[in-house]
Amino acid sequence: MSSLPVNFDTTKSFLIDTTKCTGCRGCQVACKQWNQLKAEDTTFFSGEGYQNPPLMSEYTFTRVKFKDYQKDGQNEFAFYKEMCMHCNEPACASVCPVGAFVKTAEGPVIYDAGRCIGCRFCMIACPFGVPKYEWSKAFPLVRKCTGCYSRIKEGMQPACATACPTAISYGTRGDMIKEAEKRLKNRPERYHNAIYGKDEAGGTGILYLTQQPLDELGFKPVTKRSLPSYTWQALRLVPGIFLTVGGGLSLLSWFTHRKERLRREELFKNSKLPAETTNVETKEDSP
Amino acid sequence: MTAAARIIIDEIRGYHNFLKFMIGLVVLGALASAVRFVLGLGVTTNLNDVYPWGLWISFDVVTAVPLAAGAFTLGAIVHCFHIKKLEPLVRPAIVTGFLGYSLVSVGLLLDLGQPQRAWHTMVYWNVHSPMFEVSMCIMAYTTVLFLEFLSPVCEKFGYHVPLRVLRWLEMPLVIGAASISTLHQSSLGTFFLIAVDKLHALWYNPLLPLLFWMSAIFTGISIIILEATMVHRFMGQPDESELLEILTRILPWVLGAYLVVKLPATFLLSHGPLFDRPSLLALFLAEIIIGVIVPMFMFMKKACRVDQRMQLRGASLVIAGLVLNRFNVSMFGMEQPDQLIYYPSIIESLVTIGIIAAHVLFFVLLAKYFPIFEHHPETVDYSIPDHARKTAAGDGHTQAAGAGH
Ligand code: SF4
Ligand code: SF4
Ligand code: SF4
Repeated sequence: MSSLPVNFDTTKSFLIDTTKCTGCRGCQVACKQWNQLKAEDTTFFSGEGYQNPPLMSEYTFTRVKFKDYQKDGQNEFAFYKEMCMHCNEPACASVCPVGAFVKTAEGPVIYDAGRCIGCRFCMIACPFGVPKYEWSKAFPLVRKCTGCYSRIKEGMQPACATACPTAISYGTRGDMIKEAEKRLKNRPERYHNAIYGKDEAGGTGILYLTQQPLDELGFKPVTKRSLPSYTWQALRLVPGIFLTVGGGLSLLSWFTHRKERLRREELFKNSKLPAETTNVETKEDSP
Repeated sequence: MTAAARIIIDEIRGYHNFLKFMIGLVVLGALASAVRFVLGLGVTTNLNDVYPWGLWISFDVVTAVPLAAGAFTLGAIVHCFHIKKLEPLVRPAIVTGFLGYSLVSVGLLLDLGQPQRAWHTMVYWNVHSPMFEVSMCIMAYTTVLFLEFLSPVCEKFGYHVPLRVLRWLEMPLVIGAASISTLHQSSLGTFFLIAVDKLHALWYNPLLPLLFWMSAIFTGISIIILEATMVHRFMGQPDESELLEILTRILPWVLGAYLVVKLPATFLLSHGPLFDRPSLLALFLAEIIIGVIVPMFMFMKKACRVDQRMQLRGASLVIAGLVLNRFNVSMFGMEQPDQLIYYPSIIESLVTIGIIAAHVLFFVLLAKYFPIFEHHPETVDYSIPDHARKTAAGDGHTQAAGAGH
């Protein structure tokens, strides 16, 4: 399937500290520029709130979500950057019939457009709703954040991380988790005590720190188990079931056909005229 | 050339109006799928990033596959469990199965964004993907059905040598069909195991694949009842309700076993609240009561089992329940509370209607031109040929065997 790195501590990760995000959307612009994505024709307030464009799409791999909330009677904003989570054990990669998604050893989950047959199972499987489809085309492909694989292979940081003035740190997953835990410990009053992405969907390559409880911010509650394990617990039984059903039915048929076979052998030994006799026998059964 | 065309046109003129109507629907469906390729999926369907799968997956694949399960179920019942009385029902079931799977493939190809790359599944294996497994199985099983379907074709043209080979292959094919079907019928359920936080708890539980397989079996049986009754009513074939009575005796057992697995799985193994969405709860209850409990109790009574009208009603209930169940799992149960409701576009509907019409049309045409009902089981040797050479002498078709000696 994919070249799964055994130790996810060494894969590259984002630490996105939403308490430091100013909502400048520099990352959104940097991503569009680096990936040469078309601008979208949008209208304000077409989505949930101030965010624009309203949703990630084939043209928008990352987007800053705006969330209004009230604090001490004051209206406040919380922002968070939405993008592919680059899961440790990605659901998209496990369900793809042709293995078009691969978790790279460096960390990003990348997509091979030359393989994709366009079944859109990855879109059903991804717990974060990340892969988007080129609905405008007659022969569409899937689009999603690449984790800037081409940049990090050359030792650079992702375009959005470079553009971000405040909130994004980029490094190995082990380091980023340590850093996040340090921040939670040093300033407990500033943070909601959780790292989103540490265990979600079996662990992801994007880690979030927030001030508010996660669900209030609009983070999807997802299972802590890796998603591929849910299907694998059924799929791993496939060869066994195939052999059991095949073998069981063969055995059963051998027994159910036994009487008839014995009779025919008997007939053969006595070298009677077997053809006629068997025909007469079965004719009685048939209507 | 023109003479041949003339003959064909005259032949079609002679068809019943119902068939002409079906031809019309198929043509409409073909036109609609042409439009899909010219204008793209986004414009012609109501699919979007929230609903990447719509009617074509929910009906043409997830529902049509269990609806085509009659061939493997009946094959196993007749040949493995050796209830040979039911033999006359086998051939129509195989034809339906073959048509069903061919049309599933057509539906799948229309739904793919890159249908010209469908062969990639055979080259780039991903054994972790239920979709990979299902596509391999569907290809393998369509081949098996095609081989089984070749028998009437060979009979029609009097090809004796291939017929002998096919008869010799019969048992392996039947067993292969049952094993492959077990795999992909259940793996269609595995599809939705990945949708952990999407599919509602009323349907999401780890036994979903097992439930899909069991429901495929009782649907397969019901489809055979429905088909045989229809063929008797509208195509002037003999009344098989005595044979169907045997099938209705099997049904309550399978339906009961299904309930015994389904109810505990739903209440004990699911995670998440079960009763938080009244509309989904209603769908769940409808599916269980109409599709499983009512027909189960119906067929437990002898009066219902022997009455042809009740046979048809019970089987139709089972089928309706199955269709509802597959839509619940693949569509309704996947909708989140705040999502817009998906409904199929005109093009999507026309294509699906065209596919159903094609199924009916091809079945009637095949029955018209090939010996599907005029099958004489007494000429066939179904035992496992452990002494192939010796038993060959005992077979009805001695011409071909004689040629071999
Ligand atoms: S977030 Fe979705 S698309 Fe990204 S790696 Fe995880 S499963 Fe794949
Ligand atoms: S749409 Fe493409 S990438 Fe996604 S699962 Fe299907 S083949 Fe794989
Ligand atoms: S990692 Fe690259 S592709 Fe992904 S959001 Fe950032 S800039 Fe865009």
